[in-house]
Amino acid sequence: MAYHSFLLEPISCHAWNKDRTQIALCPNNHEVHIYRKDGAKWSKVHELKEHNGQVTGIDWAPESNRLVTCGTDRNAYVWTLKGNVWKPTLVILRINRAARCVKWSPKENKFAVGSGSRLISICYFEQENDWWVCKHIKKPIRSTVLSLDWHPNNILLAAGSCDFKCRIFSAYIKEVEERPSPTPWGSKMPFGELMFESSSSCGWVHSICFSASGSRVAWVSHDSTLCLADAGKKMAVASLCTETLPLLAVTFITENSLVAAGHDCCPMLFTYEESQGTLSFGGKLDVPKQSSQRGLTARERFQNLDKKASSDTANATLDTLHKNSISQISVLTGGKDKCSQFCTTGMDGGMSIWDVKSLESALKDLKIK
Amino acid sequence: RRTGEALRAFHTAIRSSPGSSRSQAMKEQAQGTMLKVLTSFKSSEIEQAVNSLDRNGVDLLMKYIYKGFEKPTENSSAILLQWHEKALAVGGLGSIIRVLTARKTV
Repeated sequence: MAYHSFLLEPISCHAWNKDRTQIALCPNNHEVHIYRKDGAKWSKVHELKEHNGQVTGIDWAPESNRLVTCGTDRNAYVWTLKGNVWKPTLVILRINRAARCVKWSPKENKFAVGSGSRLISICYFEQENDWWVCKHIKKPIRSTVLSLDWHPNNILLAAGSCDFKCRIFSAYIKEVEERPSPTPWGSKMPFGELMFESSSSCGWVHSICFSASGSRVAWVSHDSTLCLADAGKKMAVASLCTETLPLLAVTFITENSLVAAGHDCCPMLFTYEESQGTLSFGGKLDVPKQSSQRGLTARERFQNLDKKASSDTANATLDTLHKNSISQISVLTGGKDKCSQFCTTGMDGGMSIWDVKSLESALKDLKIK
Repeated sequence: RRTGEALRAFHTAIRSSPGSSRSQAMKEQAQGTMLKVLTSFKSSEIEQAVNSLDRNGVDLLMKYIYKGFEKPTENSSAILLQWHEKALAVGGLGSIIRVLTARKTV
């Protein structure tokens, strides 16, 4: 596990370039900073200053190398690298609340922005007018859209919202693409069509993720649950009430395995058992350091009793790598079907890279299916 | 009074917890019954009772424990704290989170 402390403040959001040599992140302000890997060090190579509010989402298109950012200033910018300078292009989202999340579509000809305006802006480039335009998906969203993820077919979009629901919409834009062929989520996909809606869990949906094949979608909610809808089982939903604090980020690492992390500051493995349609907890992925187990002196015991009304040796400090909540997970290598490395960033200003093979050998009971 | 009776009363109270369609009167009656059952347990019997529940049962128990905290009687808080300790060991912080986020309260 490689941990790098970038900041003393939270990393609001991050995105990697295609070859994973550069990371773009928002250091809890109105800017985006890009760092490049220099051997074992990270050097800041760019500062993108255009937003008038905190940058809430960043996505880096791997093929076209364009960045898209969105912020509380209700704007989104598409950034293109010209020489050694990132040039922004404003995209009018037509929203009257903060933008909260942004994702390029797999073919990078569209991007989606979720916002507090209770809608999703689907943006695409209009050649004739040389600008980005957007269409809105509104119904039946009733609250802020916190997270988005595209299906590999470039058409379907999963959205997690503060109205406690996970939904899959069609974001088909006839101006830029062909009619889509049927998927297990349905065959008719006009723009804005609701293909799937979860029944109420009781928490804001913080993060949502399609599996690599697109036939499964998983989400984590603020009521400490993890859910998964399987289109291969007529969209049956499996849910797990976890024993942890709410999870804030989730990703598939294989078709059956998920990694999620959140307010417990540590990534955890979850497994989907397709035959039974159930989700189960697979273990914490943070291998604790060998803490020195020295006994307490009588004086220390008394001090503990006085201060904390308890003489047990439970730590006041965190054993985990991240010292505060993890807010985002990204897959680095291997894709969502054979992930070999993933990355976490959090409110401790740190970024950690996790190696799946090392985890499998270090945690003997770990079973990644 | 034997242990078995308390345990049976406990399971009955958990099972017959009013579902989604309920009046305030029904809810209060269920709360009263549950509180009576919980306070009738000896400390040493609590852990076994908690371990006999499934995940949903533990979540439901935690909701009743907090409801009991809301309306304390003379000796209720002490025994409820013991129930809380055992329920927390099984349900984790997640079960408390779900008390806070539940839209349908007990």
